[in-house]
Amino acid sequence: MSLVRYLCKRVYHSIPTFIGALLFMFILVRVLPGDPARLIAGPEALEQDVERIREQLGLNKPLHEQFVDYVVTLIRGDLGKSIKFRTPVINEVLARLPYTVALAFVAEAIAIAVALPLGIISALRPNSKLTYVTSVLSLLGASAPTFWVALMFIYIFSVNLRILPSSGADSPRHIILPAATLSLLLMGNLTRITRSSVIEALNSNHILTAIAKGLRERAILMRHVLKNSMIPIVTLMGLQIGSLLGGAIITETVYAWPGIGSLLIDSIFFRDYTLIQGIILFIVLAFIVINIVVDVIYAFIDPRIRDLLWRTG
Amino acid sequence: MERLVRIVDLRVYYDLPQGAVKAVDGVDLDVIKGEILGIAGESGSGKSTLALAVTGLLRPPARVASGKVLFNGVDLLKLSNDELRKIRGSKIGMIFQDPNTYLNPLYTVGFQVGEVFESHRGGPIGKYLNDVIALFKSVRIADPERRVNAYPHHMSGGMKQRVLISMAVAEKPELIVADEPTSALDVTVQAEIIELLNEIREGMKTSLIFITHDLALLMEIADRVAIMYAGKLVEVGSTNEVVREPLHPYTKALLSSLRYERKRRLTSIKGSIPSLINPPNGCRFHPRCPYALPKCSQLEPNLIDVGGRVVSCFLVGG
Repeated sequence: MSLVRYLCKRVYHSIPTFIGALLFMFILVRVLPGDPARLIAGPEALEQDVERIREQLGLNKPLHEQFVDYVVTLIRGDLGKSIKFRTPVINEVLARLPYTVALAFVAEAIAIAVALPLGIISALRPNSKLTYVTSVLSLLGASAPTFWVALMFIYIFSVNLRILPSSGADSPRHIILPAATLSLLLMGNLTRITRSSVIEALNSNHILTAIAKGLRERAILMRHVLKNSMIPIVTLMGLQIGSLLGGAIITETVYAWPGIGSLLIDSIFFRDYTLIQGIILFIVLAFIVINIVVDVIYAFIDPRIRDLLWRTG
Repeated sequence: MERLVRIVDLRVYYDLPQGAVKAVDGVDLDVIKGEILGIAGESGSGKSTLALAVTGLLRPPARVASGKVLFNGVDLLKLSNDELRKIRGSKIGMIFQDPNTYLNPLYTVGFQVGEVFESHRGGPIGKYLNDVIALFKSVRIADPERRVNAYPHHMSGGMKQRVLISMAVAEKPELIVADEPTSALDVTVQAEIIELLNEIREGMKTSLIFITHDLALLMEIADRVAIMYAGKLVEVGSTNEVVREPLHPYTKALLSSLRYERKRRLTSIKGSIPSLINPPNGCRFHPRCPYALPKCSQLEPNLIDVGGRVVSCFLVGG
């Protein structure tokens, strides 16, 4: 059960990363100008009322004491209460989480479904028209600003054609426009990395061996080209999903999608320290988990990495 | 003497922006059934390109400009991709130079060898496990039952070359083309691989084209040798005759750079191989030839038959 042992080791090793990120964002949030107690009390409140609220929230204590308090409650599995909503942070995050996860995976799935075939075809047929169109489109996709693409989509599909809803998350159809917007952004890079790693795999010497032994073209492509080109592609997919789980702030805002990204923006405006901390905690966690998953996928693809990760240490 | 392969006026060019590199420029050569034919020359002489052309493995920018490669009377250069695929790995096996990069690192060696059977006999690869184990035994891979599940990075270079050889001989081909099969290996391992190739030839009555820059190696293994210079053959004959009495000045020079005698300095051939985009007029070796005549720089010598071997030089019979 070397995989299980490896996973335990990785989880153990990510504790310092986790604590470091925790401390960093704890300080950063408090360095921001603005005072949540003042925001709660309102602009006309008396200084002593504001001070009382500060005391209630524990914000009058020195920073290091606040941090210790925070970590202690965290260890008990408590993320604290939102300053603004006065509800447990965990509830707020969990309420938004499914929307962000759904958006991230649907967007990545659309991007993969389009980018992988395009990248592979343009690697195999470098002089075809499709290759040319692909490279232009992937450049456009990567350089067009998200908010503009989002507005264009709303203009075309919601205002003119009236076939898709432009905001909210009331039905599965609502996910189509925001996911398509995000996927357009992901497609460009994914197509290019697919193309270049397929070309690299095609030019390896072992492909000559595969041809020389009389292997069918299909088998050469599926076994010896695609599998060998997967590592960079999987790396990029991991990075993309990671950043999407951190919330696609612009897209979620334009489409009024109730995900983590729009929650984060709201909580920053309100200086809702505990909620910001809770959300960032989740984002850090998501990145750690995705890194581990990507490494495990590497190991499944490449026996050399498998040996390196599981057999030694 | 039955001929297995006839190469007729073969020209292979590499289309580069600077012009066409004439890597193989009018080569006529036969391979007799059951023989080991050595092809020797410096790097850049076109010998590897010749090997790739015979196995139909040329990739762009390489292009066959003219000629035929007749294998059992069938022109390989005219076959469709699928017809060629059926011949590769079953009738013609290929062994490459660097065993470290010619195996896919992501699959077990057993799987990669099993793919040969799958490609030519059909069915799932798992069906051929016992055939692969038997094959590994025949190329002297120790502990074959365990080795079939090993990945290339678990193996030494010599062991990997044995795997590649087992792949080439799996379907008992009529012809094996080996392109510098030992130059990436240690000398001791080299000797073992040469011995193995010799055994395979004896056991399977297969023909072997052995390509190398190492003439000393060919003296040990080849029945006949063909010496290549700048895309052309300069001398072809039985190994014994060519070594005992080389006729072409280039062959002489190659052999004398090899014969190391005490108290004498190692001799080298002056100059380097000419550009293959604009090869010299006349005989291609004339700029480096110590015996060059005035006409050598103007006229191109033909290959002429001198008692069973062929030479292209005006000094011989001309």
